[in-house]
Amino acid sequence: MRIQAFIAVAALLALAGCASDPAPSEQLRLTEQAVDQARAVGATDDVAEMKLASDKLAAALAANGSQSYRQARLLAEQAELDARLAEAKVLTEKSQQQLTQVNTRIVRLHKQLGEVQ
Amino acid sequence: MSLSSRLGGGLVALGCVGLFGCAAHESPQVTVQQASASLQKVKDDADVLRSAPRDVIRASESLSRAERLASYWGTRDDVAQYAYLSQRYSEIAREHTQLVLNKEKLARQDLERQRLQLALRESKLNSVQQQGKALEEQFVSMATTETDRGLVLTLGDVLFDSGEADLKPSANRMILKLVQFLQLNPKRVVRIEGYTDNTGDSEFNLELSKDRAQTVADTLVDLGIDEKRLQVQGYGDQYPVEANASERGRAMNRRVEIVFSDEKGVLGAAR
Repeated sequence: MRIQAFIAVAALLALAGCASDPAPSEQLRLTEQAVDQARAVGATDDVAEMKLASDKLAAALAANGSQSYRQARLLAEQAELDARLAEAKVLTEKSQQQLTQVNTRIVRLHKQLGEVQ
Repeated sequence: MSLSSRLGGGLVALGCVGLFGCAAHESPQVTVQQASASLQKVKDDADVLRSAPRDVIRASESLSRAERLASYWGTRDDVAQYAYLSQRYSEIAREHTQLVLNKEKLARQDLERQRLQLALRESKLNSVQQQGKALEEQFVSMATTETDRGLVLTLGDVLFDSGEADLKPSANRMILKLVQFLQLNPKRVVRIEGYTDNTGDSEFNLELSKDRAQTVADTLVDLGIDEKRLQVQGYGDQYPVEANASERGRAMNRRVEIVFSDEKGVLGAAR
């Protein structure tokens, strides 16, 4: 039993040199938080980066479940930044819309002021 | 190439393919070069350095790591990983910068909007004073009535030219009253309903009624009423208040009605 476990570990070490990676629980938590936050500001899978983030997070959780911790960490790190970029893009887009709206109002106000005077 | 390095490369490749099938497919050098170019671009941008310095630092740190690792064997995945992260941080820096710039612009434009709003209100007040009381009679069609839909204010045809959606200057007085009322009753919301007579086809009338209602709403917003308090609805030639047979009847039917909510902001259902 113990020997079998040793062989499994040794095989993993030999193949990837990464079996010593601990489970990336903290990174996964961070990534989930980043994905939730991006969703909260309105990022959907229509935003390419958001789709990447949710797909990679799902893959990272699966890898974590099958103890491929290194792969889980790499995917989770990428997904975190994908989500942060998606969030930033959505916020920028929203501010752009607000800007367009206030500019429309300013044009309208100028027009009205011209009419009254 | 020596046998050992070839063997080493083979093992690394095996490790890559076997355990990490998701790294960038281009060679890591290309990814690093791309990340480096992106970083250089944001570093050259004074706005980015001012608005998102932390993102730039992170992009820079990740890139250094990728470059350092690139000189070792067996680090292909890590090189690609840090190059990817660096690239992302550069992109995030760019977005954050745009956001900051937009917000600054928004603050400036908002001040300008407020300034214009005040000027508009003042000039409308002036024009009302100039028109004096002679106009009073024109507003006989403007009356508030209690109906089953709640309190309703009718703005008659006198405020619009036939077939036009622009408010005539004679509407100023009533609009200002409405603004004053809404400012004194900040919880009340209104539904602005447009109606037309039955001249012309009904699709055109529906559009015209919507446009008229929207014009009233826009003017209220221009004078400082929060647009969240305003609903706009066009009914075309439906719900006439008089028979469309006479010119007088048609004039009565060309109107905008303002339906007020109760003091708590609860509005009756739309027709």
